[in-house]
Order: sequence, then structure tokens, then C-alpha cells
Amino acid sequence: MKFLQRRPSVERKKNRNGFLFCLPWCIGFLLFFFIPLIQSIAFSFSKVSVTTSGFELDFVGLENYYYILFQSPEYVDNLLDTLTTFGQQIPIIFVLSLIIAMILNSKFKGRTFFRSLYFIPVIIATGVVMRYLSGSVALQSMQGSAGDLETAYTGTMVNFQQFFEQMGIPESVSSMVFRYVNDIFNLIWQCGVHIILFISGLQAIPQSLYEVSKVEGATKWEEFWFVTIPCLGNTIVLVIVYSVIEFCVSTGNAVIQQAYTVLQKQQIYHISAAMLWLYFLIVACMIGLIFYLFNRLCLKKWQ
Amino acid sequence: MNLFQKSNRPAVDRSTARLMFRYRATNFLVSFFRYAFLICIGYIIIMQLLFVVSYAFRPESQIDDPSVVWIPRSLTLENFKIAIEAMDYFRALGTTMGVQVLSGLIEVFSCSLVAYGIARFRFKGRNLIFFLAIAMIMIPPQMTAVPMSLNFAHFDVFGILGLIGKIIGKDIRPNLLDTGFTFWLPSLFGVGLRSGLFVFIYRQFFKGLPKELEEAAYIDGANPLTTYIRVILPSSGVAMLTVSIFSIVWHWNDYYLSVLYFSSNYPLSVMLDQINSNIFNTTGILAGGADGAAMAGVFLFILPPLIMYMILQRKFIASIDRVGIVG
Repeated sequence: MKFLQRRPSVERKKNRNGFLFCLPWCIGFLLFFFIPLIQSIAFSFSKVSVTTSGFELDFVGLENYYYILFQSPEYVDNLLDTLTTFGQQIPIIFVLSLIIAMILNSKFKGRTFFRSLYFIPVIIATGVVMRYLSGSVALQSMQGSAGDLETAYTGTMVNFQQFFEQMGIPESVSSMVFRYVNDIFNLIWQCGVHIILFISGLQAIPQSLYEVSKVEGATKWEEFWFVTIPCLGNTIVLVIVYSVIEFCVSTGNAVIQQAYTVLQKQQIYHISAAMLWLYFLIVACMIGLIFYLFNRLCLKKWQ
Repeated sequence: MNLFQKSNRPAVDRSTARLMFRYRATNFLVSFFRYAFLICIGYIIIMQLLFVVSYAFRPESQIDDPSVVWIPRSLTLENFKIAIEAMDYFRALGTTMGVQVLSGLIEVFSCSLVAYGIARFRFKGRNLIFFLAIAMIMIPPQMTAVPMSLNFAHFDVFGILGLIGKIIGKDIRPNLLDTGFTFWLPSLFGVGLRSGLFVFIYRQFFKGLPKELEEAAYIDGANPLTTYIRVILPSSGVAMLTVSIFSIVWHWNDYYLSVLYFSSNYPLSVMLDQINSNIFNTTGILAGGADGAAMAGVFLFILPPLIMYMILQRKFIASIDRVGIVG
């Protein structure tokens, strides 16, 4: 009897095939991802010298990290700079793409047109093209002599800075607003994929929930906070992760840029690896913190 | 947004009429602000593209002319001639097609294979594989790119080739750098550019497929592989469309890996990056002075993906509603 039970059932046998489906991926994962990742950690703790038959590693401990933190010019500045931009941009992109996705998800005339227009950045927004677009003479000529974009959109007829000051809004607030306005092109062009993710998340929310909330007499505002946002839980996590990755990968990122210069121009592999790992660890901690807060403050409340 | 629907019944008394007026007014305001918002943002998106087009066809003399803003006084193809020459356009296009786009297409299939395995079979380690795929999304390619490029210079499969080489006494590890294999091989195994995300999308999609599809195939005597090829792949067109658009576009636009893996025979994205210095080398015009040519280069670079997008746009947008990327 025991023997019979141990014999793999048909179902079990079939499930074994599942592993065969994954086998190529597992090999590839080890070969093209896991081993290089381990090597890259090893690089950051040692001195790499390229020889004719590959490369050699000399273990030096934390020397590389010490070098980039205390001796290398600019690294710490770049790191702080990147993290501030990160902190400023991610929330704005997040909110903006959620708003756009909610509008594009509702029913109105010309929805398809606007959708196909808003997905264009997904197709062409990349480091190289973006550099040409945002640094183009075209934009600069529009910016006029003042050199900022607000004049490009409004002309020089209205001085908004003065206008805000007269309204009694402190300069720190208005300058922050202007920074975002100046960056609007950049911000909106980064929203493409996030909008797609949000739309597909919004589609997954069952319509019956909205009907129930309507019957219960919820306002739009309550509906948003108690139906839409909780149902978007997974999407929100995915979007945050995605924006962080996108930010890491983008060539406009000062740390990545520096690591790249060190790598390509000076061929110092270990310093570059250490720079990337330190940056990545900080970013990973930040993602972890976001998740923790998200779980603690939001998800617990809704349950 | 459709909270307040028009009712067809005629208004009976004054309070109903007032309510209806209020509904209509709200409706009108909501749609007014919606369109205003959409048009504003849409303008920011489209403005850049129009500028690219406007500059690409503009003669050099009119670029610094403050009286010409949008529409140039005369059109020229001179910029395109310079850009095609400086980018070595048709050779670079060939490289991009043969290396990047091809490996993007390979990835569409290889990722669906592993996603099918973890979505439809229950075996030990299934969750681990899924977790690793997610981890792959989170770790940027910059982390692994450098060791990869060093490994590709002396390509080895788990040290086997090196071992054989030691026995024979000859180094038989091939140098794959500067060849298409640097992109094809990872894609073939489903671990190429952003493949973690594609595995995720496919897995979510396969999870939603009805079980009966496969059961019918098994009863008819198909083995899992034929089931996958004959039944699953044909019915997952929507997911494949989404993934292939993303995959092709991201491979097309890839710059970082191309620069690392290639030392000549660059694909388009790298050539576009170098266009200004190339123009300077051939014609002696300083970078920035040839802005029209750079814009023509951008135009030529984004044209093929844009055409692809315009053709597939309707299906792509419909597929986003149906794939349920997040599920």
C-alpha cells in the first residue's frame, strides 16, 4: 500500500514537465544573471586587472568603498543629488500617472485617440532621444533669454514669480512649483509605462464595487480612497518598483553616469562596481522603507 | 465619472428641473476640465515631436532665425543626407534589426516558455523561480553588465570549456564581444533585457486561461510541449502583442548594453549618440551647429518604432485592457 502511494501519480508526472519548461531559464539565470551578479559583488571588494586570458581579482576588503566615499571627487555629491531628484520626481510621477490613468480609464469621446497619444512616450522615451529632445536648441529657443520653461509656455507677458509674491505665497513654495513646471516635459515623458500599469490595474477592479459604493451613498472622494486605492494595492507596489528601476537605469542619473565614465573611459571595473552597489543598496533600503510604510499605514487601515 | 446620467423623463416640477440643471452643469464642467487637462498634457507630448519634425526639414540658415518658430520658410532634405551619412544609417539599421530586434523577438517566446511552466504546473521550486524572476526586475542591468562583458570576452559555460581547453592545452573559449551572441544568448534563455517583467506579464496571463483548454488537449493525446505550441501559444495572442511591443521597443532603444558589448558595428542608438561628433569629424561643423542634422537623426531613429506603433496601436490599446498585467 505504501509502495503504491509513493508511486508518482499521472498528475505528479505531468507537473514534473513544468520543471522542464523552466530548465532553460534556470540555466540562463545562473549563467547570465546570478554568476555575473556574484562576480560584481566580488569586483566591488577587490582589485580587477584584465589579462589576456580573462581577469584576475585581488581581494582588498572595503578599500573601494572607502575610496569612493572619502577620496573620490563628486561621488557623494552625485549620490545626494540623485537621491534628492529621486525623492522629488517619484511622488509627482506617481500621482500624475494615476490621475492620467483614471481619466483615460473613464468613458468619454476620443478616448482611443488620447490613449494612443499618451502611450507615445513609451515607444520613444529613452536616454539618447531624451537627451536630444530636452537639450535641443528647439526647447532652449523657446525658453528665451530667461532660460526657464515657464516663459516658454506663457510667453514673457506675465511674471509669475512676482505674481505669486504679491499673492503672499512664500518664495520657497513658488520656487518649488517652478522647478516642477520647468521639469514638466521630463516628468510627463516618464509617465508612459506607469499609465499603462495603472490602467490595467484599474481595469481589474470589479465594477460591482463601485455600484455598491454608489448605492451606499459614497462621494467620489470616498470612492477613490476606499475602493480604488485599496484595490490598486498590487499595482501601486509594481508602479513604485518600476519607477525606481526606471530611475536607476536612466542615463540621466548622475551616479550611473559617473560609474559609467569610470568604467568606459578609465577601465576601473572595481570602483565602478562599488559605486553601483552602494547606490543600489541605498535605493533598495528606500524601497523597503516605502513598502514597510505602505503596509503599515495603508493596508492595515483598510482591512 | 458617469455618475450623473441624463434622464429622459420630462421635468415635472421646479425642484426636479433645478436638480437636472445642476447635474448637467456638473457633467459639463467635469468633461470640460477633463478635456482641458488632457489637451494640455497632450500638447507637452506632441510639441517635442513636432519640433523634431520641424527642425529636421529646416535649412541650416533658419535654425537660429528668431522669426521662424514652427514652420520653416523652405524645406530641405540636406539634414537627412548629413544624418544618414554620419549615423551610417543603413548599416546601423541592419545591426539593430539583426541583433536587437531579433533578440527582442526571441525573448517573446523564451519568456512565455518559463512563464507557462510556473503558471500551469505545480512542482517544487516553482515559487522560487517566480521569486527570482521578480528579483530580476528589481536589479538594474548595470549591476551585471560589466562582469557579463568580461565573461563574454572569454565565453565559458560553467567552466567546462575552460577545463577542456586546459586538457587540450589550447584556449577554446570564444570571444563573443562585438557579435550578436551577446544579445541572442541571454534572450534565448529568457534572461535578456527586462525579461523578468515579461515573465511576470505572461504568468499573470496564463494564470487566467481556463484549465479546460489543456485538459482537452491532454485527452486528445498531446504532450505538454505540443499543448504549449498548439493550444497555449495561439490563444495568448493578446499577451504576446503587449510583450512584443515592449520587448522590441526596449531592445531598439537600448544604449547601455550595446556600448558595453560592441566596439564597432554599433547599432542605431549608439550611432545616434555619436552623431554630433561624427558630423564634426567628417564636415568640420562643430557640435550644436548641426542641430538640424541631429534632429533628422532623431527623426530617423524614432520613425521605425513609431510606424510599428501606429500600425499596432489599436490592438495594443485594446490588449492593455485585456491582459491584466497586474491581475
